[in-house]
Formats: sequence, C-alpha cells, structure tokens
Amino acid sequence: MASRKKTLLKVIILGDSSVGKTSLMNQYVNRKFSNQYKATIGADFLTKELTVDDRTVTMQIWDTAGQERFQSLGVAFYRGADCCVLVFDVTAPNTFKSLDSWRDEFLIQASPREPENFPFVLLGNKVDLEPRAISAKRAQQWCQSKNNIPYFETSAKEGLNVEQAFLAIAKNALAQQNSTVDLYNEFPDQIKLTNTQKSGGNGDSCAC
Amino acid sequence: MDYEFPKEFDLIVVGTGVVESILSAAASRVGKRVLQIDENDYYGGQWASFSLESIIKSKHHKKDYGGNESETNLLRFGNDLVSLKNIAHKFHMTSNNTLEEETDKIENEEQPKENKWTEENLLKLSRKFNIDLYPKLQYARGDFVELLISSNIARYCEYRSVSRILIWFNNRLESLPCSRSDVFANTKVSVVEKRMLMKLLTSLNDKEKHVQNYENKTFKEFLTDKKLTPNLIHYVLYGISSSSDDTSCEDGIEKARRFLNSLGRFGNTPFLFSLYGSGEIPQAFCRLSAVFGGTFALGQQIQGFSISDDKFKSVTLQSQTVEAEKLVLNIENLPARFIKSDKLEYISRCILITDRSVLDSEKEHLSLIFYPPTDGKSFTTVIEMGFLTGTCPNNLYLVHLIAKQNTSPQEDFQHVIDKLFASHVEETSQEKPSILWSYYFSMPETNDIILSDDLPNNIFVCPGPEIDLDYDTSVDKAKLLFEKMYPDLEFLPRAPDPEEIIIGDDNEEEESTDINEEDHDKVINVEQEDKENVISAEQEDKVNVISAEQEDKVDQQ
Repeated sequence: MASRKKTLLKVIILGDSSVGKTSLMNQYVNRKFSNQYKATIGADFLTKELTVDDRTVTMQIWDTAGQERFQSLGVAFYRGADCCVLVFDVTAPNTFKSLDSWRDEFLIQASPREPENFPFVLLGNKVDLEPRAISAKRAQQWCQSKNNIPYFETSAKEGLNVEQAFLAIAKNALAQQNSTVDLYNEFPDQIKLTNTQKSGGNGDSCAC
Repeated sequence: MDYEFPKEFDLIVVGTGVVESILSAAASRVGKRVLQIDENDYYGGQWASFSLESIIKSKHHKKDYGGNESETNLLRFGNDLVSLKNIAHKFHMTSNNTLEEETDKIENEEQPKENKWTEENLLKLSRKFNIDLYPKLQYARGDFVELLISSNIARYCEYRSVSRILIWFNNRLESLPCSRSDVFANTKVSVVEKRMLMKLLTSLNDKEKHVQNYENKTFKEFLTDKKLTPNLIHYVLYGISSSSDDTSCEDGIEKARRFLNSLGRFGNTPFLFSLYGSGEIPQAFCRLSAVFGGTFALGQQIQGFSISDDKFKSVTLQSQTVEAEKLVLNIENLPARFIKSDKLEYISRCILITDRSVLDSEKEHLSLIFYPPTDGKSFTTVIEMGFLTGTCPNNLYLVHLIAKQNTSPQEDFQHVIDKLFASHVEETSQEKPSILWSYYFSMPETNDIILSDDLPNNIFVCPGPEIDLDYDTSVDKAKLLFEKMYPDLEFLPRAPDPEEIIIGDDNEEEESTDINEEDHDKVINVEQEDKENVISAEQEDKVNVISAEQEDKVDQQ
C-alpha cells in the first residue's frame, strides 16, 4: 500500500429479501452459487482484495444477515459505509418499487456527510430468469433520477456481470474516499479488538 | 411486512437490551431457533442511543398498562414500575423560535450574547449525536471485553479508549495518577508519597493477604491503616477503585485490581468505549444472533402472551400467534403481577451538551471524571465525550452524569454542575463550558428486583442497566440465565470468521479448497490472524461450519 492509511472499503448490500444479495456476494468472493433459496444464515461479511487503478484495496462486503426482512436493520449496520449497493430482482416488480425506501433508509441511517454525492450502485439481479418484469430502460431511468447511479444487470447464478459490477462498486467507493476529506478516517485510530492484540504488552501497567 | 413469522420457535426474546441480546446471540449460536422482537422501532430499549431529536421526542414508556386481560386471556407485556421517571429537558440558550420546552426548574436563564449555538442549529446536527440513555465503559481486561473477543463479536464494534481520567480534588480537577508513569509525572504528589503509592498498587494484587482482618471493615479504613496520606487515599479510594466511604475492603480491593489489571492493554487508561455510543453494543449481539439464523422484528405491535399449566406458551403479535419453548424478556416488559418488589432504587442521570471541555487540552476526546461524595451527595461519575467518540458533532461535547439517586436528578447533580460548568449568571467564568442543553431523568435499578414465585419457569427476565461503570455484571447475569435455560450448551463459543464460511455450493467440497488456494495471497483483515479453514457447505438448508477450534453444526430450520 502506497499510503500508510490502509484502504479498506466497507460496502453494504441492501434490497428486499430474496433478491439475491447473499448470492451476489458469494458469487463474487467465492465464485459459488446455490440454487436453493434459504433465508440468509451464516452470511456475515465477506472480504476480497482487488486492484483498482493500480491500488490494492480490501473490500469488505456486508450482508444484511436477514435483518432486513422485518425492516430491522439497526443503525450500527450502516456505520462507516463507503458505498451502498442496492439490489432488486428483475422478475419481481415489488423489489424494484422498494428501492426508493431502501435508498432513503440508507441516507437516514448512515447520514453520510454529502448525501447527494454518496455512491450507490444498482444491481438488477436474476436476468437469467423469465419472465422479465422490469426493463433495463426503466431501471436506468430510476438511476438517472437519483443523480446517475451506475446500473448493472447481473445474474449471480451464472456469474454474469458480477465481477464488473463489484469493480465499479469499488471504484465508486474509492472515488468517494478520495474526494471527501478522509471519509473513512472520520474517526481515525479506532481500536479493533482482535485476538492478535491480546498478546499486547503490559507496557504501562504500574502493577509490575 | 408481507412476511409471516414461522409458527414456532425455540426461544422468543422480547426486548433488545444488552442482557436479552446476549441471550439471543448465545441461543442462536448453539442452533436454537430464536425470534427477537421489540415494540420500539430501534434497538436497545433502556440501553439505546438516540439522536438529539429522537431523545427529546421519545417518551421512553409507552402505554397504559391497566389492561383488560380477561377478554382474551392474554397477559400484556409491560408494567408501570420499571420505566424512566422525572424526564426533563431544556435548551439553555436563546432560540430562534420560542418553542422551547420547559419542563424543569433549572435557573441560569441569562444568555451570553455572542453565543453562536442556537436551538435550531443544534437540532440541525441532531443525527450527529448518539446520546446514550446509559453510557457504559468496558474494562480492557474485564469479562465483557474477553467475551467480545472470545466469541468474535468484537468484529462488529470499534472502540475508543478513555483518553484521561480526572478526579475532583481540592476544589479543582486533577489528573488521576493511575499508571507508573502518571505517578511519577505527577507534581502534586511528593516523592515519599510516590513510593507509598507504588508500593500499595503493586501489593494490591495479593488480595487474600489484605482481606484478612478487614472482613468487616471499609476500604477507606484499610487505606487509612496503611498510613497513606489524605492525598493518596483520595486518589485510590475515589479514583482507582471508584469507591465510596462505605465500600467494603474486599469490594474496594477488587475494584482497584480490576482497574490496575486493565491498564496498558489499549491506550493510557483501563477503559474502552464503543465508538458511536453504547447503543452499538446490543446491536452487535443481535447481529451475531441474526448471522446464526435469529429472526428480528422491531416496531412490533405485541398483544400479549399466554400461559397454560404454569408454563409460558405463546406470544400473540398483531395478527399472529407464535409458540416457543422459552421466553426471555426485559424487566420493562414483564407484567406487574410477576414483580414482587413494590419500590425501586433509582439512578440519577443527567445529559448535557456543552461548548467546550471541562478541562481543555489538545487531544482529549473522552474523559472519565470521578466526583467524590460530599455533604451527603452520592459519588458522581461524569463521562465527557468529544467528537472523536462518534457521539457528538465537532466542537461540542456530550456530558453524562451518573449517581445513585438521593432526592432527584436535578438536586443530586446541582453541586457538580455548579463546580464544573459555567452558570450563565456569572459571565466572568470564561474558562468553564457553557451548558447548551440538558436532559434529566431517573433510571430504575432493576438488577436486584425481586420476582414473584409464580413466574413460570420457562420465562427468563433480564435486568436493565445497573450503576456499575462497565458491563461485567450484565455478562454474569446473562451467563447465569443461559445456564438455567440450556445447562448443557456452551455459552457463546467463538464464531467462525466470515471467510471460514462458504455458503451454498452443491457438491464440490474440493472446489472450495481450490478457490482458497487460488486466492491464497488474499489478506482478509490486516489485523486479524489468517486462518485457512476450509468450510464445506451443504445443501438442504444446512450450513456446516467447521472451524479450527470446534466443530459445530448449525442446523437451520
């Protein structure tokens, strides 16, 4: 890493239940797909390292862990997001209609510094399925009305466009980090409790 | 909203406070099917954090509990006893509109003319505030931090260390010398005293030795017998062990040891604070519960629950009845008939927004201040949070005061507020912070509440926050309840790291190995130990998680 500041991007994926959020993550990071739907379990966040314009970045992609089903994602989930990925199912019109409320919910909960410039990316998933209910044109119109959100049509099942979409997500998140003053580092030097720190010295302990 | 809940769970949890959320996480973690619900549309209950606007609007107690239970045979959740009392808030500066709510009788009405903060511009920053109903710190080596690390829940939170500890002494604020270097850098302590103090702090580790002969004596008596100077007694008694004059020797030593043991792990003080406020903590446990299959629903209309043959049977939501083997609920949600105590102790609370730190210095952003008991007033703990704690906007401070309630929150804190903050009347006190907004209330102490004997034995009741600085009592309580609920199951074993779980491949376990090799050089988390554990995931609603330490099966459905 060129700069001392490590480039870690937190990306969160939002959208109605069963639009394929977990599958998209899983396809992108693990190149796996399961055809059998089950409510998200065990899916927490996945991490992938990638190179964007000669920079190595670590992208941490956070799943909703099923807490979206009854609109019960807590504010903690949204903390420090660098990019928000909205997902709908191109065969299910209701999931498209929900996009506005997911976007609003994000802006309220995450309350980013510049809401109008915060990077969203829209994914229309399940393009391998028929019948199609939401046309690309309609999705693009929605994106235009929201300050030109990038739009990708994906199939988590076939891995179609998934790589490209996440690359765009990383780029947008990164652009956001670069343009606003140290977005990620709004609260620098926060402590993470991890096992490795456990062995940390007793440096200043007076009891010894 | 269009979704229905399954008809049956192993456990229903009503409330999203810390203790019940720990239980929810622990139960989901060992494969129990958990439904956790809350009538509030936010997490945390009495442990929640609020924006400025929402804490002002929130009533913190909802309805009238004089229910007509007979109609439906349903017991209604909630009681009148356990709720916040004496809530009073006020903006202390001129406001552009005159909607200022006046519910308390604090004086200090006059405004400094040049004050740039108005009610309006504070409210504009509303969401930059995360105002804890009950702020909690964590001992860096306390049970709670150990649990967060051992269970892997720590990954859902970020922390700040408390940057300094101050103590009120000789009518001023002083740094508390707690570490070796602090002691030696302190100019208020003579060389002889320094040696005395170091000797005492070192020797406190041997608790058994000390407690002999002091079984029925106070920690203060112990320190006096050690021939410490009044200076040192003050520091050790009120500071390091945050005790009162009547704290027993055993408790005092225990508290001092916890403090000393936690030094040097993170930062300069023994304490950690969760970035963005204490309201993050219950959410971290809920997240783990959800990751392991827990179902979450906030903002639920809950009609009540039913008991048959002295056993809890089911909870009735707005339009659906859900059965479970066990019920966990927060004391706030317990029907009054199951509470034996008719009177509660209260904790006095005060929250202030101020325009500067009580003791300016360049980088301090999180100060813990001990204000010893005086003239019959309780020991007061003050926590001042700056911008870097993620709980308030830049250039403002959020100040929390906590004390055992004697009379009322206003009266209990008046002497502290007079000393630490500028009264607008005497405009000369330029150095002191001005109070821009204040919020007072009484928080019920529910940890020792006595429950009635006819509470069904498959109902488990969780207390709210107690007066301790940290969460260790809450962890103990949660562990105890978990042991009662599931005596044979492990309490929050380490959760696998996300990269140890690969979801949803059909039949190719080998392939997952390949992929791991392919991405071999992938750095998962710079700070985290790398683990190359290969996880197989099977179909049929099962996710098998195999981690290095244990082989658990988490069966979904």
